[in-house]
Amino acid sequence: MGDDLNGPEYQVPEELRSHITITTLDRIYNWGRRSSVWPMMFGLACCAIEMICVAASRYDFSRFGMEVMRPSPRQSDLMIVSGTVTKKMIPQIVRLYNQMPEPKYVLAMGACASGGGPFKEGYNVVSGVDKFIPVDVYVPGCPPTPQALLNGLIKLQEKIDTQSIRTVRWYKREASEPIPIPILGPDLIDPRDIPILDAKRASVVKPDVPENS
Amino acid sequence: MYGIGLIKGLGVTLKHFIETYLDDIRWLGRRYYRDESLAERQGPHARGIFTVQYPEEKLPVPEEFRCIPFLVYEVGEDGERLYRCTSCGICSKVCPPQCIWIVRSNDPETGRPIPSPTEFFIDIDICMNCGLCAEYCPFDAIKMDHDYELASYDRLADHIYNKERLSKPVTYYESIRPMNFAFEEAARAEKEAAKEARRKAK
Repeated sequence: MGDDLNGPEYQVPEELRSHITITTLDRIYNWGRRSSVWPMMFGLACCAIEMICVAASRYDFSRFGMEVMRPSPRQSDLMIVSGTVTKKMIPQIVRLYNQMPEPKYVLAMGACASGGGPFKEGYNVVSGVDKFIPVDVYVPGCPPTPQALLNGLIKLQEKIDTQSIRTVRWYKREASEPIPIPILGPDLIDPRDIPILDAKRASVVKPDVPENS
Repeated sequence: MYGIGLIKGLGVTLKHFIETYLDDIRWLGRRYYRDESLAERQGPHARGIFTVQYPEEKLPVPEEFRCIPFLVYEVGEDGERLYRCTSCGICSKVCPPQCIWIVRSNDPETGRPIPSPTEFFIDIDICMNCGLCAEYCPFDAIKMDHDYELASYDRLADHIYNKERLSKPVTYYESIRPMNFAFEEAARAEKEAAKEARRKAK
């Protein structure tokens, strides 16, 4: 623990190393956050089986401080998108993401969540969850082995280590905007695209139709 | 009486808890981070907790384990890479999620196609690790890799592998799949011998 926290810029005498740690606020803050990343407990498809395996005793991600998978978005820091994201499911996923308190992270697990995988051109599948929510770590594999997912989680911890209180988006003066929830009609509509679609519709030249036909 | 099952279940946990410490004493502090003790802990005679301490110790992958594909090349006499791939495109046709993209080119002088890929892309975030490309390749040029630690922060920059990142030497292939390699080399030698014999018969 001392090695993690001690800033390299401060020289602590050898005999005091076990008693004193000099560190920066960023470092201790990140150390606290990276050691208690609580994932949200939900699974979407076959990748969820591997995620459950990572939580079980053979791989056991409680060794990284992630032991409590919270069934509520209000208590979780990490969303593991484990599996195929269908168009019917994405409004709920975006809603859950909006409900998570910041700082929040998203890990796209497996081919389907990262890029659509084998269903990337499917009529009912969102090809990559990053079309809607920002993804921090992509874990390839179909499904990734439990160790590959652990590797992704360690990568996420490394990412948390590099962040600084001064630059992260959740301490900015203006409140962060929630992501508009996609509308599921006959097809999926992203509310962010509506102005573009409107402009496109306005630019289309209407055919001349006689008044009383 | 109610609760017997509960107590029995907790008893199993307690047994594992105590046995972990007894096993620690038996291994004299050498229970973790070593291949022999990992094999013992994963085997049928495991006592106590059997968690794989992942970043320090890793479960050995079986030979037929497959993650994403890689391109096999042979090292030529001058150290140049001789790709086995002829850019025939069978792999990209059989690929179920269509994640392989091959760029072919023609010889500028003769205008005939060069039998080697100019570029070779695999989107590893689309790849479903099925191994059909390796199965169908008539030149044994594309094989499935064992490396699964591929997580990264940027999909487009890091997860669309080009020819450079996909290339691995044939010695690497031999090291990860020794049995398959020996089998394929034997088949190839047999084929060569048959060809030679046919040529002599003429």
